[in-house]
Amino acid sequence: MGASRAWLTEMKILVIEDDLVIADLIKKGLKEAGFIVDHADEGLTGISLALSGDYDLAIVDLMLPKLDGLSIIDLVRDKGINLPILILSAKRSVEERVSGLTHGGDDYLTKPFSFSELLARVKALLRRSSNVVEPTTMNYRDLTIDLLARTVSRGGKKVDLQPKEFMLLEYLLRNQGHVVSKTMIMERVWDYHFDPGTNVVEARISKLREKVDKGFDTPLIHTVRGLGYVLKQQD
Amino acid sequence: MFLSNRINPVRSFSTRLTLWYGMTFLVLLLASMLGVILAIGSILDARMEEELEEDIEELQELYREQGFGKVIEDLESEMKGNEPNSFFLRLFNDKGEMLLASDLESWSFLQPVNTLLDKQSDDEPLIEVVDHPALEHISLVVFGEIGPGIYLQLGETMEEKDEVMAVIQIASIIIFCVVIPLASCICWLMAKRASAGIKEVSSAAVDIKNGKLDRRAAVASSGDEIAELAETFNAMAERIRSLIAEMREMTDNIAHDLRSPLARIRAISEVTISNAGNIEDYRSAVTDTLEECDRLLQMINMTLDVAEAEAGVGNEHKESINISMLAEEACDLFAPLAEEKGIQLQVAINRDLVVFGNKHNLQRMLANLIDNALKYTPEGGLVSIDLNRQDDGIVIRVKDTGIGIPEADLPRVFERFYRCDHSRSQDGCGLGLSFSRAVARAHGGDITLQSVINKQTIFTVLLPTT
Repeated sequence: MGASRAWLTEMKILVIEDDLVIADLIKKGLKEAGFIVDHADEGLTGISLALSGDYDLAIVDLMLPKLDGLSIIDLVRDKGINLPILILSAKRSVEERVSGLTHGGDDYLTKPFSFSELLARVKALLRRSSNVVEPTTMNYRDLTIDLLARTVSRGGKKVDLQPKEFMLLEYLLRNQGHVVSKTMIMERVWDYHFDPGTNVVEARISKLREKVDKGFDTPLIHTVRGLGYVLKQQD
Repeated sequence: MFLSNRINPVRSFSTRLTLWYGMTFLVLLLASMLGVILAIGSILDARMEEELEEDIEELQELYREQGFGKVIEDLESEMKGNEPNSFFLRLFNDKGEMLLASDLESWSFLQPVNTLLDKQSDDEPLIEVVDHPALEHISLVVFGEIGPGIYLQLGETMEEKDEVMAVIQIASIIIFCVVIPLASCICWLMAKRASAGIKEVSSAAVDIKNGKLDRRAAVASSGDEIAELAETFNAMAERIRSLIAEMREMTDNIAHDLRSPLARIRAISEVTISNAGNIEDYRSAVTDTLEECDRLLQMINMTLDVAEAEAGVGNEHKESINISMLAEEACDLFAPLAEEKGIQLQVAINRDLVVFGNKHNLQRMLANLIDNALKYTPEGGLVSIDLNRQDDGIVIRVKDTGIGIPEADLPRVFERFYRCDHSRSQDGCGLGLSFSRAVARAHGGDITLQSVINKQTIFTVLLPTT
C-alpha cells in the first residue's frame, strides 16, 4: 500500500481518552504509523478541539470527565461537522453499541482492544471518508496482487491461491508493516466474530507461506507471538 | 420480625371469617324465621276465617233443610262445648230481638244488635277482627244471615293460633341460642384450620427469608386450595434453592476459571522480575501475559454472550440464512484441526437449506458443537456432521466417537461453566454448549443429546423453519 502511505502521513487524529495508559498506547502507535496525534484527557478540551475542524478523525472514549463521549458526538454532529468518529468503550452490550452508532459514531471498539485492531479500524474509516479511489493493484516489495483479476505474483512469478488464501494475503497486505491478530483475521476473512478455537488461521498462514515465501530469500509473512501476523520484510 | 406478630387478632383471617359468617347466618336465619312465622300466622288466620264462614254456611243449610229448631239445638250444643270467655254467639231476628245468646260477660264491648243490622248489606257473611283489652287474645267475629230474618253473630278468640305461634317463637329462640353459636364455632374451627395452612406457608416464607433455604411448608393431606398453595410454594422454594445453588456453583466456577489465568500472569511476572536477565526473557513474559489476558477477556465476553443469547439479544438481527453454507464453512474451518488431531471429519450436508436467524450466533453454535466433538474425540476417531430437512425444520447432527458423557452429567452439560471434567484442567470454559443451546432456543429450536460412555456422543440441533 505504498501509494496510500502518502495520504495517511499528513492526517491528524484527535484522541479523547481519560485513561492515560490507554491514551499513551494509542498516541505512540498512531505516531509510529505516521499520523499526527493530539490528545485531550477530558470532555471539554476534547469538544473544543473536535469543533476546531483541524482533524481527519477522532477517537472518543464514552466515559469522560466533564463531558461524556456521547455528548461530544452529539455536539459535533449538531454543528454539521463531518468528522469520522471511532468510539471506545468498556461497555460491550449491543444496546450500548447501537446507541453509540445512532448518536453519530462511525465505528465502535470495545475495551480492551489490541492496537492493531484499532489501527485497522482507523485506516478503514479514513479510507472511507477520504474518498480515495481504491487502487486495483497493491504491492509490497516484489509482491503484487491484482484485486480485480484476483491474481498474485511474486518476483514476476505467478502464485496460485485459494480464495480464502487470497483474502488473507490481501488483508495482510492492506495492513502491511502492522500486526493483525488472529481475531481480526477470523473477522475479516471468515466473517467469524469470535474465536472458534480452531487452528484454521495458522493452517492457512502456513499454506500461504509455502506459496508466497518458499523459494525466496526474504520471507514476507511473519508470526508475532502473542499478537498475530504481519507482512513485512525484516531488516 | 415474625409475620404473625404483626397480625392483629381482631383482624385475623379466622376471626373475620367467623364474624362475617355468623352475621350473615344470623341475618338469613332471622329473615327466614320471620317469613315462616308470618306465613304460619296468615295460614292460621285464613283457616279460622274459613271455618267461621263454613259455620254460617252449615247453619244456613241446616235451617233450610231441617228448620229453625235444629239450628237452635246445634247452637246450644256448640255453646256447651266452648268456654264463654273465648266463644260467644248471638242469634236474633231482623227486629233486633234476641233469640239465643251465650254468656256475654266477657264480650260486653260488642255493638248492639241494631247497629249490626244496619251494616248488613248483602248475603255474604261479614268477618271482622276484634282486638279488645277485655279479651286475652285477638278474636274473629262473623256475622251473617242464616235464614230469612234470622241473624247470627259468632265470635271466637284466636287462642289456638297464639299458642302455636308461642311454640314457634320459643323454638326460634332456642334455635338462635344454640345454632348460631354452634355454627360460629364450627366456622371458626374451619377457618382456623384453613388459616393454619396459610400460617404455615407464611412462617415457612419467613424462615426462607431468614436464610433457611431448605425449609418447606407442611402440606395438608386435604388436597384443597390451601394444600395446593403449600405445594406451589414449596415448588417455588425448591426452584429458588436450586437456582441459588446453581449460581453459587457458577460463581465458584467463574472465580476458579478467572483465577487460573490470573495466577499464571502473576507467576510469569514474578518469575521474570526475579530471574530474567535478557530482553528475550522479558519479551517472552510479556507475550505470555498477553495470551493469558486474551484468554481472560474471551472468557468474560463468552459469559456475557451466553447471557445475551439467553436473553434473546440478537433476535432483532435475523435474516434468511443459508444454514447449509454456514455448516459447510464451519466444517472447513475445523478441517485443519481435525487433520492435526488425526480425526476423520465426515460431512453430509443437504445443500441450500434456509433458516431465518442470526448469522453470527448460528455460526458460533455450529462451531461450538464441532469444536466440542473434536475436543473429546481421541486420535483415530470420527466426527460426522450431517444436516437435513425434517418435517418443518432443519436437523443438524454432530456425532463423535469420543469419550462420551457419564449419564449423571447428561442433564447438566448445558449448564454454564459446567464441565464433565471435574478437575477443570481441560481447555475451554464450559460455556460453549450453554451458548449453543441458548442460540437454538432463541431460534425456536433446541439441542438434545445422546451419549454412550467411551463410545459416542450425538448432539442433535433442531431448528424450525416456519
